[in-house]
Amino acid sequence: MTAGAWACLLSPLVGAGAITAAGTRITRRQAGWIATLSVFVAFAGALVTLITLLGKEAEDRQHLSVAYTWLEAGGFRADASILVDPLSVVMMLVVSGVGGLIVWYSMGYMAGADEERRYFAYMALFVFSMLLLVEAGNLLLLLVGWGLVGLASYLLIGFDHHRPAAIAAAKKAFIVNAFGDAVMALGFFLLISRLGTLDFAPVFEAAGNGALSDTVVTLAALGLLGGAAAKSAQIPLHTWLPDAMEGPTPVSALIHAATMVTAGVYLICRTHPVFEAAPEVQHLAAILGAATLLVAGLVALVQQDIKRVIAYSTMSQIGYMFLGAGVGAYGFAIFHLVTHAFFKALLFLAAGIVIHHLAGEQDIRRMGGLRRFLPRTHLAFGVGTLALIGIPPLAGFWSKDAIVASALATGGTLGILLYVAGIAGAVLTGAYALRLYWIVFQGEPSPLVLEHAAGHGDGHAHGAEDAAGHEAHAHAEGPTSMLLPVGALTVLAAVGGLILIPGLWKPLETWLETAVHPLVEASVAEEWVTSGGAVLAGAVGIWVAWRAVSAGRELVPWPHLRTVLEHKLYFDELYDRLLSRPAQLLAARLRDDVEQPLVQGSLDEIGRGALEAGGGVARAQSGLLRSYAFVVTASVIVLAVVFLVVR
Amino acid sequence: MLTTLLIVLPLASALVVWLAPLSKESTAGLALLAALAEVGLWAGGVINFDFEGGVQYGWTRSWFEDLGISYDVGFYGFSLWLAGLAIVVGAVAIGYGVWVERERARAYYGLMLFLIGSVVGVFASQDLLLFYVFFEAMLIPLYVLVGVWGGPRRVRATLTFVLYTMAGSLLMLASVVAFGIGQGTFSLLDAGQSTNDWVFLGFVVAFAVKSPLLPFHGWLREAYTQAPPEVAAVLSGVVSKTAVFGLIWVVLPHFPEPVDDLRTLLLVLAAATLVYGSLLAFRQPDVRGIVAYSSMGQMGLIMLGVFAVTDVGLDGAVLQSVNHGLVSAAMFLLAGMVERRCGTGDCSALGGMAKGRPILATVVMATGLIVLAVPGSATFAGEFAILSGVFDRGWGYAAVGAGAIVLAAMYGLRLISAILHDARGAAVSGDEPDLRAGELALVLPLLAVLLVLSFWPAAVSGTSFSSGDTATTITGSPG
Repeated sequence: MTAGAWACLLSPLVGAGAITAAGTRITRRQAGWIATLSVFVAFAGALVTLITLLGKEAEDRQHLSVAYTWLEAGGFRADASILVDPLSVVMMLVVSGVGGLIVWYSMGYMAGADEERRYFAYMALFVFSMLLLVEAGNLLLLLVGWGLVGLASYLLIGFDHHRPAAIAAAKKAFIVNAFGDAVMALGFFLLISRLGTLDFAPVFEAAGNGALSDTVVTLAALGLLGGAAAKSAQIPLHTWLPDAMEGPTPVSALIHAATMVTAGVYLICRTHPVFEAAPEVQHLAAILGAATLLVAGLVALVQQDIKRVIAYSTMSQIGYMFLGAGVGAYGFAIFHLVTHAFFKALLFLAAGIVIHHLAGEQDIRRMGGLRRFLPRTHLAFGVGTLALIGIPPLAGFWSKDAIVASALATGGTLGILLYVAGIAGAVLTGAYALRLYWIVFQGEPSPLVLEHAAGHGDGHAHGAEDAAGHEAHAHAEGPTSMLLPVGALTVLAAVGGLILIPGLWKPLETWLETAVHPLVEASVAEEWVTSGGAVLAGAVGIWVAWRAVSAGRELVPWPHLRTVLEHKLYFDELYDRLLSRPAQLLAARLRDDVEQPLVQGSLDEIGRGALEAGGGVARAQSGLLRSYAFVVTASVIVLAVVFLVVR
Repeated sequence: MLTTLLIVLPLASALVVWLAPLSKESTAGLALLAALAEVGLWAGGVINFDFEGGVQYGWTRSWFEDLGISYDVGFYGFSLWLAGLAIVVGAVAIGYGVWVERERARAYYGLMLFLIGSVVGVFASQDLLLFYVFFEAMLIPLYVLVGVWGGPRRVRATLTFVLYTMAGSLLMLASVVAFGIGQGTFSLLDAGQSTNDWVFLGFVVAFAVKSPLLPFHGWLREAYTQAPPEVAAVLSGVVSKTAVFGLIWVVLPHFPEPVDDLRTLLLVLAAATLVYGSLLAFRQPDVRGIVAYSSMGQMGLIMLGVFAVTDVGLDGAVLQSVNHGLVSAAMFLLAGMVERRCGTGDCSALGGMAKGRPILATVVMATGLIVLAVPGSATFAGEFAILSGVFDRGWGYAAVGAGAIVLAAMYGLRLISAILHDARGAAVSGDEPDLRAGELALVLPLLAVLLVLSFWPAAVSGTSFSSGDTATTITGSPG
């Protein structure tokens, strides 16, 4: 029954282990294939699980499969177990499906990079960790997966380990996430202390039936939200994500767009009974989401690095998902997670082709007019952009509007405010997305672009003769291993939204409802009013951006506001002053002012005293040692003899 | 009988190695053989051990009946694991000695084997005076090993180590005598409970020096950085765990009232050690300094679990003792291997060693990640159990411990990057070799055990004490 899900989970782990153990005995390409195939095997396992579940009645679609007891301490036990239900299956499919495409793409993108095998081992490790996160059968195992995706993210951001910027970004990501893990762990300690278990069923039951006091539930929910906000780069724990763009582009696509960063949304949906028992915390999630979607959308308007624009866009879109989960529209939050995985992975991979083509250039001010040289990428990026903005009938339209409509249906002041934030976010999305697309692909080709167009022409000619180099230079847009995944994602971004049309056709919603029942349901009227508003908002954004960019102006003409936005509202500076520097100063102070003088200083005193007493430095040192060793040895021997004799 | 064999085998081998006029190579080979035989013997003991069955493999010979002193040895679940830690790490340390071809081989291997034998004796003791004898016996080889084979500041390191441990030992001796006379027996299994705070504090201070806990850690940095790497591995990995054993087996069962009365002080001390060690680890200039202070922090964490005296915390403390013993030993050996290549352990002169050295990079990365307790690792499981166990004694301790998770991430990543990442350091010329097969053979067993424990931490945490009621088993009262 759960064999498919276990195979799905373990296949990438086996892949990662095999690549690591084989070391240099396999070629780079073989390592790439092992990783790609192991992830596609995982996808097959997820498909098998889906089909099995489809054959069951709705109420029989939840299976907990226990392998063995992972941790046992005192009366506390946590099993190595997986939970197969409609929610985890959807996540398994997205993670292994999109993951497989991106690992495959990596084979072309990373060809020739140093230490490629290590890259593929890390990618497979990541997919395993992410699958563990979504399949985990209890909260502790979920925390393990939670931490392991952070680890894989650290390893992959810092993949180019000779670049200090990459290592610094990797460390930052890990430490912010460790903070999130710690907050979450604290919530778990509280649950263990009250309930003695971290299994889903008893925890959710206790949260639902009032067995836990309000304070306990609120604190536990806050712990979960802290972890979720750190992993999903929501304000105020968002600062690591833009820096994470130091990692290779496929990593950004997989970890920092399609899967890991959306784990917070999955967590809220998975543990929704806890959040529903603590409505203030759930609303806080929605408010954080709304704040993030606006702030990230604003910052995205002024970024000049192609990947960073997309990174801020990711933060902003996850803000929508938090908003959805926060008002209890779990199905739509997951729906947006799925469609976002398609179009955002697509945007990153297409951006990867651009970066690849321009030999690593990421500054959009040096780009322009690429549509002529990269026609297929232009098409893909265009579809991704429109899907992101939410133009019907592309994927983002259905999912984002459903979330905003749910905010409206929540009602009250909060509902209205969230609705307004959602619509305002749509304007921003339209503006930054079109700006990026226009600067990169439209207009006249920049000098850099022309230079590379010529360069690739040469490469093409040589490539025909050189079999090994053929794939790398087969086309200016990259080898088939890069183009096919991008093609597949283009199709998904275009039509992937059709798995759910709010109010009319809702297989995904029905499917998820048996696992997570939504709190709100927007009426069809609310849906269509929202859709109209959101599309109009997106169009306004597009129009503003098009007017500005085609005239060569910046989107934010006011210099002061620009400075603030370029500094990302000074969050980094604030944390540096408030946390990082004081911690370092404290550590340095402890070392220089406490440890050195007190401990080592007093030692010197003791030492000197002993030396003076013994007279003569060298003699005293060895003399003291020797006499002590002698005394102890002698007493041990005497004791032993005494025992033997007296006995 | 098996217990006595486990104690005598290394001690007798030590004598043979020391006295037999063998060549350097044969001496080394013989010592390694003895250490491996000890591992095999212990593994056999684990297979036949009944983890629900109380103290086993016991052997008692009354020696001094009037005072109730006897040679009484045997293993309980958790002490069998700690002894295993000593035996495995000891064997690997001897292997490292063989690899680097230590001079004055007969004395060196004799002392190493003597050290292993006496540590196993500590973990096996069921009589308080016997415990004291082994505890002292274990220190002698350490003094000499640090003082003779250590780094440039070895004399100073030894001196401070001697002074601290001597003070601790004297206090403990006084407590041992006072407790034994007062109870009329030295048997740890038969003795009753005492309410004497002073006797209690004598033990606690002695163990606080050994672990070490703040503010008894003055010997730590010099000893850990000046000792030969394999001795530092045993010192931090194994010898510090005799304090854990002493607290769990001597103090908690026989001083429940003083533990209860002074719990806040003890827990605060442990938490302070955790934070202090972690913060200082973050500012150390050299690799071994980072590992040294991280060890101190980890011992603070373990002591949080011990002093909490809850079922979950005690199981976690034992698990973490085994984990920390293995991982800090591995890290000290790796530090030694790096120092041999580059001639320094100074972080500012290292770096960039990952390039072209895939095996070194993988091993250092894996070990470093276990040091910082990445979720899913055995150290994470231990840490989680300990903090969950201490939560019931006050959420503040758990909160401080959770804060230490972030600090551990900070110094752990710094440690990894200092060796592996960024541009090549001044001391790294570029032609230092990758880890050799011989070196890998030393570190890999430790990592392999840690990997097994990561997949199955319950193997240790679920078997340390009979039937789950840890605190009850130990203190005779529900925790």
